[in-house]
Amino acid sequence: MSRLRSLQLIKTDSTTDAPAPGSAAERSVLVRAAQQGDVRAFAALVDAYYARCLRFALHMLSNRGDAEEAVQDTFVRVYRALPNYEERESFEPWLFRILANRCRSAGARERRRSEFVEFGEVPERANDRRHDEAIAWREEIARALASLPEEQREAFLMRHVEDLTYDDMAVATGAGISALKMRVKRACDALRLRLTEDDRARRD
Amino acid sequence: MHDETDETLARIAEALRPLPDVDPAEKARVLVAVATERERIRQHRVRVARRWKVSGAVGAVAAAGLVAAVWLSASRGEAPATQMASSTTAPASAPAPAAVDARLARDAKGLKAVQVVLRAPSAQRVSVVGDFNGWDSEADAMTRDPVSGLWSHTLTLRPGRHVYAFVVDDSMWMRDPRSPEAADEDFGRPGSVLLVGQP
Repeated sequence: MSRLRSLQLIKTDSTTDAPAPGSAAERSVLVRAAQQGDVRAFAALVDAYYARCLRFALHMLSNRGDAEEAVQDTFVRVYRALPNYEERESFEPWLFRILANRCRSAGARERRRSEFVEFGEVPERANDRRHDEAIAWREEIARALASLPEEQREAFLMRHVEDLTYDDMAVATGAGISALKMRVKRACDALRLRLTEDDRARRD
Repeated sequence: MHDETDETLARIAEALRPLPDVDPAEKARVLVAVATERERIRQHRVRVARRWKVSGAVGAVAAAGLVAAVWLSASRGEAPATQMASSTTAPASAPAPAAVDARLARDAKGLKAVQVVLRAPSAQRVSVVGDFNGWDSEADAMTRDPVSGLWSHTLTLRPGRHVYAFVVDDSMWMRDPRSPEAADEDFGRPGSVLLVGQP
């Protein structure tokens, strides 16, 4: 990869939610360059995927410090494992496999916390009823999500938040497609039931 | 069975999809951690290569001894078995490790104290990172002079070329403005070159 090209690729917004590099071709150029030791290409991958990885880890672990640690650990392991990465695998599910493993390990260390994280762009307006409702709704979702078994939570997030295909999820989790569909269905049923009940209780 | 795309699920997914705010300092720490890992891998490779070099030299000496022993025994018309055994062990412990020790002693003798200084009056914490400490921001914390606002630290370095930078408040990575910029930036981050003279 030329130096100019890598500079262009690295020139993304480094502080906020930079999107993943657009095309699969662009991603594979970055990954190949990183495999060959191009540190700028690796930095560009971190830049592009950090926010998404953090989102997944936050939903899995419900704790910002643990999530940031899991993401950092993930990228170090990705760097270490890059020589073994084969291009016939898609990078994203491969990355999510490592991330999901780190989250499982972190989750096993620190089971169930009562702290829930807030994120997204909810405007800070005190006494704003819609704002309070939005916060309450997010907290309910966070609680409902945290109440799911880890495997179901992971499958639900991969499918409905990260938009991975079932094939990619199979790579990321090592589980079969029918098992994954069942986990997603159970997660959906449980979330729907719990949140509908909560919603009803709030209205009453 | 409900359709996976029903309204409640759509609202749940919508609430979960916004990307979180990213702390730039945390992202910077990821790159520092990866740079540290990169250096660890590099040093491991150097150690392995050195080990091979030393064992190769030992092997060559042993092989030479073996050939000499076989040649001697052949010229004397003796059976070579016992001499072969002694020749493979005796030279192995003599010249090569001595050479390594001598080199290490020379290295230790050639270490130089180098003071690095950075003016950053409002910083809370500054450390110097470089190839000499595996880019570890915990390894060489600098000390602040309360009057001048200068941060300083003395490094003990081997002679040669070193690349280094400063990490300010665990988040900002900066090169030393008073030293030449390194061409081989690490992870797209600027570094400076430090040349430590030969003894």
